[in-house]
Amino acid sequence: MTQALATTVVVASLYALLAAGYVLVYRATRVLNLAQGDMMTLGGYFLFLVATAVPGAPAVSVAAAVVLSALSGFVIYRLLMRPMAGHPIFAAVLVTVTLGILLRAAIVLVYTDRIRHPLPLLGLANPPRRLPGGAVVSTLDVLTVGVAALLFVALFAFLRLSPLGIQMRAAGEKALLAAQRGINFQLLFALSWALAGFAGALAGSLYASNVRLDPSLGVLGLKAFAVALVGGLDSLGGVIPGALIVAAVEVLSVRYGDPLLADVSPFLCLLAMLLVRPWGLFGTKEELERV
Amino acid sequence: MKPGLALLAALLAFATGVSPALAQYRIGMSAAITGPASSTYAPTYEAYKVYFKRVNDAGGINGQKVEIAYEDDRGEPQRAAANAKKLAEGSILMVNASTSATYKPFMTESEAEKIPLMFGGGVCPREAFPPASPLIFCSTSFGSKWDSRFALGFIKEQAGGKKVKIGFAAQDIPLSRIELEFAEQHAKEMGLETIPVVVVPGNTPDFTPFAQKLKDAGADWVLSWALWHVEVGVFEALQRIGWQGSYLLYGHQQTQDELTRLKAPSLHAFGGNTLFMENLPIHAEIASLVKGQTTHPAHYMAEGWVSAMVLEAALKKCGWPCPKDKLATAMAGVSVDTRGLRGGPIEWTADNHYRKSTYYKVYRWDAAKGAIAPVGGWTRLEIK
Repeated sequence: MTQALATTVVVASLYALLAAGYVLVYRATRVLNLAQGDMMTLGGYFLFLVATAVPGAPAVSVAAAVVLSALSGFVIYRLLMRPMAGHPIFAAVLVTVTLGILLRAAIVLVYTDRIRHPLPLLGLANPPRRLPGGAVVSTLDVLTVGVAALLFVALFAFLRLSPLGIQMRAAGEKALLAAQRGINFQLLFALSWALAGFAGALAGSLYASNVRLDPSLGVLGLKAFAVALVGGLDSLGGVIPGALIVAAVEVLSVRYGDPLLADVSPFLCLLAMLLVRPWGLFGTKEELERV
Repeated sequence: MKPGLALLAALLAFATGVSPALAQYRIGMSAAITGPASSTYAPTYEAYKVYFKRVNDAGGINGQKVEIAYEDDRGEPQRAAANAKKLAEGSILMVNASTSATYKPFMTESEAEKIPLMFGGGVCPREAFPPASPLIFCSTSFGSKWDSRFALGFIKEQAGGKKVKIGFAAQDIPLSRIELEFAEQHAKEMGLETIPVVVVPGNTPDFTPFAQKLKDAGADWVLSWALWHVEVGVFEALQRIGWQGSYLLYGHQQTQDELTRLKAPSLHAFGGNTLFMENLPIHAEIASLVKGQTTHPAHYMAEGWVSAMVLEAALKKCGWPCPKDKLATAMAGVSVDTRGLRGGPIEWTADNHYRKSTYYKVYRWDAAKGAIAPVGGWTRLEIK
């Protein structure tokens, strides 16, 4: 049971990192970024790119990967999403779908579909860690949990304490009022995309180092999308319980039920949530119509 | 060209029914060049390109060039169906190097157009085994049921008379599940203790719960026959949670890289192709030919190279002109020396389009040597 608990926390942390990207972009721009999974993959490949160029320097590789990913988020907003302003949200969502397809194709063109393992290039090992109670996880599993916790603390602090964060919240909650106060929307939207890229890169770098890197990792983004909806699409705080619920159902369905259920369990959670509380655990009821 | 020669060429073309401009062996290949399964199949496509460039540069076969039309099906049946229609037109042979999901449309087209179909890179379908369908051939090293028969025999031999409990890690794709359900049944018939097959979704973020299930059930050995990332993902999770058993998986093209990366003596990879770490002359030859020509390294080329060797032998045997019915007849009697890439030749007969004998070898990491080493020699199984 302790192993199932440990695995749940690890999987939930990965989902939370990814789901944070969905929520950040949605809160600010009201756009569902369905390319978030592929932005995670892109982050993993940025890590691989830098680690190949500068082997044995994990700090440099990770830092470069997250910076490049954040920059990509910014560029995506500037080139693709900003011109969509004034068009129906539906069109913007379709742009993100196309973006995901393009990112995958570009990665295959450059790196092919070969499975890669950046960890040896980083010069790191990933030994198992025994936890109290007998559960065993990898070192990078522990790091994933730590990084997710840190990211959420940092995001909450940023949104509550920094002027930019407060402006982001204001723009997300009362757009018209915020606009009348002279808040620079373009900057905030670009920032939300950059932060989504940053969070995706953290997830991608950790997953690629811990498990594998290949162009199809983006499918994990779909499960994280279910997490974001279960928690409430406009609630960053909702991501944490959402991720824990989805991960727990997934892990326990393997442990005590049919392992095949694992793949569909995030969507069963989503379905159940849509039936009971369509706006999610901590989402805003009025957001339902927009979704 | 002198007028007399041009007239002679035109008369010859009229007599043989083949235009000189079109006088070449036309082959159509559909492969998962991109898509989720392409790491397994794209190297076959690359091997074909390099192999037949060399053949054509050397003057072709029977004085004719080999023209291969390549189509990407991404491993998707809808794309495969479109490719099959397109490739059947004007080709004398279709080659499929893709997932089993793409087989049906190709087989249907092959049957309708009476065009031979060779599987090279993907698992061999039932129709290639005795009694074989007249138009279906397969050069791939792995074949369902035979792989499990070998694997279970190997595990039993390694156990050396001790009682062992075997677990099975399948992927949530029909082929993998069917194979390992067969293996589970076959193991029981061999008197081995089994654990029910654990089916792993390919997209799982963490393999630990599946590994835990196998460990808790007390598996001494685990057999996996799936796509590489699932096979190795379950092994890594088992290793992480402290499982002390031995693991046997089918060795795809990634084997050499991955055994070196993992350095785990308990991980055994079995397969029909010799690993390039054995440094045979054919390996050096392939390495020099593909250098700078392919996106995958030379040791990913074995499967495609063997398939291309078989095709070359079949076209030589067919002669010129080589219509599709004549090619099918020629293929049914082909015998190819694989020059060490496999444990023995590929020999097809009228009712056996898989091979008369198939060969398996097991490799693992040898910690003492600090290198990959074979576990014994080739094992030959007769296909009846």
